[in-house]
Amino acid sequence: MGWEEVQVRGYPEFVRTAESFHGRPIFALFCGDKDAEGRSWCPDCVTAEPIVRKELHNLPDQSVFIYCLVGDRAYWKDPNNEFRRNLKLTGVPTLLKYGTPQKLVEEECFKAELVRMLFTED
Amino acid sequence: SVQAHKEEDNPPKTMEVNVLTPLPDSYDYDLIVIGGGSGGLAAAKEAAKYGKKVMVLDFVTPTPQGSSWGLGGTCVNVGCIPKKLMHQAALLGQALQDSRKFGWQFTEEVKHNWMTMTESVQNYIGSLNWGYRVALRDMKVTYENAYGEFVGPHTIKITNKKGIEKLYTAERFIIATGERPRYLGIPGDKEFCISSDDLFSLPYCPGKTLVVGASYVALECAGFLAGLGLDVTVMVRSILLRGFDQDMANRIGEYMKEHGVNFIRQFVPIKVEQTEEGTPGILKVTAKSTTGDQIIEGEYNTVLLAIGRDPCTRKIGLDKVGVNINEKTGKIPVSDEEQTNVPYIYAVGDILQDKLELTPVAIQAGRLLVRRLYAGTTTKCDYVNVPTTVFTPLEYGACGYSEETAVEKFGEENIEVYHSHFWPLEWTVPSRDNNKCYAKIICNIQDNERVIGFHVLGPNAGEVTQGFAAAIKCGLTKEQLDSTVGIHPVCAEV
Repeated sequence: MGWEEVQVRGYPEFVRTAESFHGRPIFALFCGDKDAEGRSWCPDCVTAEPIVRKELHNLPDQSVFIYCLVGDRAYWKDPNNEFRRNLKLTGVPTLLKYGTPQKLVEEECFKAELVRMLFTED
Repeated sequence: SVQAHKEEDNPPKTMEVNVLTPLPDSYDYDLIVIGGGSGGLAAAKEAAKYGKKVMVLDFVTPTPQGSSWGLGGTCVNVGCIPKKLMHQAALLGQALQDSRKFGWQFTEEVKHNWMTMTESVQNYIGSLNWGYRVALRDMKVTYENAYGEFVGPHTIKITNKKGIEKLYTAERFIIATGERPRYLGIPGDKEFCISSDDLFSLPYCPGKTLVVGASYVALECAGFLAGLGLDVTVMVRSILLRGFDQDMANRIGEYMKEHGVNFIRQFVPIKVEQTEEGTPGILKVTAKSTTGDQIIEGEYNTVLLAIGRDPCTRKIGLDKVGVNINEKTGKIPVSDEEQTNVPYIYAVGDILQDKLELTPVAIQAGRLLVRRLYAGTTTKCDYVNVPTTVFTPLEYGACGYSEETAVEKFGEENIEVYHSHFWPLEWTVPSRDNNKCYAKIICNIQDNERVIGFHVLGPNAGEVTQGFAAAIKCGLTKEQLDSTVGIHPVCAEV
């Protein structure tokens, strides 16, 4: 079987979802919330998302891609929010391979080469 | 003739190379760097800045115990970085003890969890490995996790973990393959002993440990293991810290002894046997005196060998391209421009003969070399007055000559040594030793009392030494030192 995508919002839902897929390679893209028109408050996330999506076909078989909306801008700016505290995220967008130190942060997510490297190499 | 096989072909397992064949008129790469450690990565990244087409090869042959690691070389994976972090873990243990005297109250006895520390350290190292891969990819440097060896002029063969081979050519090469720990060559050594290559990722607490060796690796490891609460013994064949100022070396040893590290002097192990399996198990070590026939035995959970490191230069095909190495040591002699006897092949880092084995030296040498090759500069790496620090429980920072070397070079009557014990203010309240921290400078009387040697034994020795190294580079004299007002209250003011 190929890869599958799950969309979540907020920290508790993210953790529950990641735990439910324990044992499979999990990749996650964290972005700022989207408004009614589907536009995120985070301009870099708007730029990064299509670039990341274009590389998804490179995901290894069995992997899970979790698309996670972190919250509104005020929540994100709080230095104590759960994503910062527990997942050690420092910025959005962040694309990471769950359970490893491998991640791409902010402008790094704009580079298709790096996204591909994260998805395909050990 | 040389056949460069592209990825789509199935290359035969053996290659035939005719040395007299004319070289291809365009190489696959401008530069191939063999070794992705401190020196190799610095050189590769610098070359990429000048628009050169660069490949980096990095491959870690697993240890006898099966340990391996990612991109970054010794320093990042099994050297400076994890060492300093574990040294810090031990210092924090000491700080917790001191803290009671400063008023902190906690009722539980403080214990150390090896797995928690090791996981955090390995996680950090993993982020460094990843960071290097991102950096290389971003700079368009090709990185292959493969073992590189020369097969002919300007040509190397690379073999990855799955045994797949490819050939590449380059105009120039930099060898930066570094070193690996030496084994004793006695029964049971590879089977049962570990080295620094294994220690920093050991998936269980080492327990009661015998450290064999008296290098800075041996003493630093023994030091932090003891600081974490383990029962540690160091077996020394002759002197401590060969090559370092011996007065300072002995002070370090004394301090460690007084603070719970056992020393067995003038003995070498002759046999290691396993009496009980486990993680850790129980090992029996038999050792012989170097001064007589006495044999002793001891039981330990872990035996850590730290008796030296050997360059990885013997199995990379250097004979195929005619690069000279020192047959006895494996080191590569180079000119002061890091060039080997083969004009298009250079070398940097720990494998160089008669050069300091330090990360910043390798980085500096690698960068300057590349700038000379591609940016037209002429600056050579300055190997003189390079500061170093040994992170034993009592840290030792040094820059310049040891006392013995200064006496040998300038004559005892021409040097003046100024020295002083000092008691760090932070040690007073918790009643820590008042006569152990020590500093000395060695001056050349014939040259305006120029400071030619700086040695300090005390907390934060590395931080203290760095500034003085810059001063020494500027030609610091005793008079200038005396006229510099001290910062109070700090150790460095002495």
